[in-house]
Amino acid sequence: MNAPLTAPVPMPLLEIEDLHVNYGRIRAVDGLQMQVGSGTIVSLVGSNGAGKTTSLTALSGILPLSGGRIRFGGEDITHLAPELRVRRGIAHVPERRRLFPGMSVRENLVLGSYIRHDRHGIEQDIAVMVELFPILGDRFAQMAGTLSGGEQQMLAIARGLMSRPSLLVMDEPTMGLSPKMIDVILDTVQRINSQGTTVLLVEQNAIEAMRLSDHVYIMRLGRIVHQDTGARIDPELVKAFYMGEVL
Amino acid sequence: MDYFGQLLANGLVLGAIYALTAVAYTLVYGVVRLVNFAFGELFMLGAFLTISLMTSEVQLFGTAVAMPALPFPVAALFAVALTALFGILIDYIAYRPLRKAPRLAPLISSIAVSVVLQSVAQTIWGSEQVHFPDFGLADLDPIVFFDSIYIRVMDVVVMAAAILAMVGLSLFIAYSKLGRAMRASAEDPMAATLLGIPVNRAIAAAFALGSGFAALAGLLYAQSYGFAHATMGFLPGLKALTAAVLGGIGSIPGAALGGVLLGLIEALGAGYIPDGSAYKDAISFAILILLLFMRPQGLLGRPELNSAGAGSLLDGVATVGKGGMQSLLGRLDAGFAWLAGSGARMKVAALAVAIVAGLIIPSDYWLRILTMVLIYGMLASGLNVIVGFAGLLDLGFVAFWAVGSYFTSILFVLVLKQAFGIDAQSVWWLFYVNLIIGGLLSALIAMILGTPTLRLRGDYLAIMTLGFGEIVRIVATNWIGLTRGPMGIPDVPAPFLFGLQVKSPMAFYFVALALTAVILFAISGLVRSYVGRAWVAIREDEHAAEAMGVPTARYKLYAYAVSGFVGGFVGVFYAHYQLFISPLNFSLFENIVILMLVVLGGLGTFIGPFIGALIWVVFLQLALDIPLVQSFPEIRFALLGVILMCLMLFRPQGLAATARVKLTMPGVGMERAS
Repeated sequence: MNAPLTAPVPMPLLEIEDLHVNYGRIRAVDGLQMQVGSGTIVSLVGSNGAGKTTSLTALSGILPLSGGRIRFGGEDITHLAPELRVRRGIAHVPERRRLFPGMSVRENLVLGSYIRHDRHGIEQDIAVMVELFPILGDRFAQMAGTLSGGEQQMLAIARGLMSRPSLLVMDEPTMGLSPKMIDVILDTVQRINSQGTTVLLVEQNAIEAMRLSDHVYIMRLGRIVHQDTGARIDPELVKAFYMGEVL
Repeated sequence: MDYFGQLLANGLVLGAIYALTAVAYTLVYGVVRLVNFAFGELFMLGAFLTISLMTSEVQLFGTAVAMPALPFPVAALFAVALTALFGILIDYIAYRPLRKAPRLAPLISSIAVSVVLQSVAQTIWGSEQVHFPDFGLADLDPIVFFDSIYIRVMDVVVMAAAILAMVGLSLFIAYSKLGRAMRASAEDPMAATLLGIPVNRAIAAAFALGSGFAALAGLLYAQSYGFAHATMGFLPGLKALTAAVLGGIGSIPGAALGGVLLGLIEALGAGYIPDGSAYKDAISFAILILLLFMRPQGLLGRPELNSAGAGSLLDGVATVGKGGMQSLLGRLDAGFAWLAGSGARMKVAALAVAIVAGLIIPSDYWLRILTMVLIYGMLASGLNVIVGFAGLLDLGFVAFWAVGSYFTSILFVLVLKQAFGIDAQSVWWLFYVNLIIGGLLSALIAMILGTPTLRLRGDYLAIMTLGFGEIVRIVATNWIGLTRGPMGIPDVPAPFLFGLQVKSPMAFYFVALALTAVILFAISGLVRSYVGRAWVAIREDEHAAEAMGVPTARYKLYAYAVSGFVGGFVGVFYAHYQLFISPLNFSLFENIVILMLVVLGGLGTFIGPFIGALIWVVFLQLALDIPLVQSFPEIRFALLGVILMCLMLFRPQGLAATARVKLTMPGVGMERAS
């Protein structure tokens, strides 16, 4: 609503216009505007309660909108059922990973490819995932619930990729991980992006996120309060937004 | 040995049928965490559909409808498929809108579906047994093993069908895409949705499979016993649920194991225990209770499902219903809340209205109806202590009512009058003493029965209490030396008050009103005390309550005791009011009705149970004037079920939810704090 709109790249894959989500009387997302350019990494940062996760959940169709429009690949998907959005090419790796703990690593991966029917391609992609995250290959038959936090995050990302998405949405992929594991995960994000997948990233680690993003949106109280390219954005300003020094 | 072998064979056939039905419960429970009580009725539907498809003509509301007269296997196949479709429809109408509602809502809805199906079946197929048509396979000579064990060809078919179906289902769940989707939806519906799995379709598939299994079991059961009946699904359904819990609910091999074990236990128990066939149903439930006590997750269940269905029964909000309807219900609710919250003056006014009503209503008929409202209201208040205030689902409450009624009846009729020839009038005060003793006796039993349930949460608790209720009913039916069994106890004397017998409907009404006042006074006093706050804390969040130092086990026992006391207390009056009691008065259906009253009026409120009772009893009478009901009286219960279902859909929290006693009670908290 208030933030000036400068299209980050000529062809946006995802456009969110004036998104509103309410929890009862609380306006969790209050007029969110953002665009994600095809092939880029875009970060959405902000302090707790800014409405980031709510925005992503609404983007996937899990939460009902109170207003606004979502366009993906040039088509209006505002009223599309969640499972059909996956078919259009949006994969959402949710907060806290949400694996199927009682199922094996392999089954989790296979479930990631639920929308696909090319049995051969699925097997190939499982091999690709093992290449991307070699540790998963050693844990194939293990129950997902018994993996370590970092391994679970890898599996969650791999599971998301199994649907061959054009947009990978990740909600706090580094939450609760060791600094070393954070580097591994963020490196992988970059690698996935370099192979052509657009990435929308929600991160608490704002500085890390800025480093690898093409574009950064700062969210506060349900709105975008600032945005700039990853290279240009001022870390001090981001910090100030986090601390609530700038309103 | 021959005898044993024959019992073993019988047990296996019965076990196969239980196992098939248990799979239905387990499958749906595994996916949506719902005990779908309606499976017993789908079991019955499978049997009736098969019979109807095998005959050449059926009577539908008095008109003859031509039927295809299919051979048994084809008819069975169609019946299974139709019931499966029906299961999907039930899920769509009665459960899907309630996925986010308080957990009690879908449970009540499933009970309502059960009631509707049963009374509709009674309307269509009549309340008599319907003979199962003869068919080729059934007429073959039995196969003889070891020269002495006779097994009918159809019994072999039953077992083979059960094994095939079970193996097929296990493979389907483990390896098919839909099966995997079902498991994923069970583990985490939101994550499944994010992977593009249509979760509602996966759940519908579970319902379809479950309903098909229940139908298969039902039609096999019916051909095995040679008849179908509208209520035939009730007990096998309960047993199958028991079997599912025995094996570990959510586990398909567990359901199979549980079913077979239960079948064997029943057959052997009926064969070897003296008077075993009378008590075989009680044996199953006793084993269930024992098992839940020692190993709550069941034989093959996963321990993490232990607290399955834990969490607040009453939390959450309605998701269905549009503007006008919701605002009307909201206004109604606000009205009740105002009534409940307006303090002592309003209570005096309500009492005054009740007294005036008793004095000016000229019709004995309506006074009797109002007395029933008070009796049901009191009973519902007792159940409300457990369900509404402490948040524990209890399906065995009716047992306490029965204990009170039987205690006083046995004492007055069988002991004093028949054994000693003492007239009721000379010991008139005993009635009043009995109110207390009957209450205490029930409270004691409630505490004994409550102890093993303390470790259980959520749905397991419901199933266990249901088992208790059934055991009491079965004992009352079969311990003829004590209770005269199904003959009941007649000539229970009406109470006396200083030599005057309470006889007129008006006098009974006032006695009931006085008792109501006593009970309401006692319950509200308790609820507003420290005990009540502990209950509400347990209801809102048991873990948090425990963490804050509330000895939850003790307060749960208190809730059982108080609820049991009220049940026994009312039971004593009930016996002296009805003047005749029999086990039929205390069926699970009565328990369901009482639960419905509480839910209808509003759980955890003081007036809710009476609002519910008023609506229900008056509805039953008024419905008699509807022409359709006059020709088919069973439809009344179907209408009740529909009303209840609508209530759950539009207002799962009950009519007077705002009046629910909260954790922060005005006044009480302040006193304690200072």
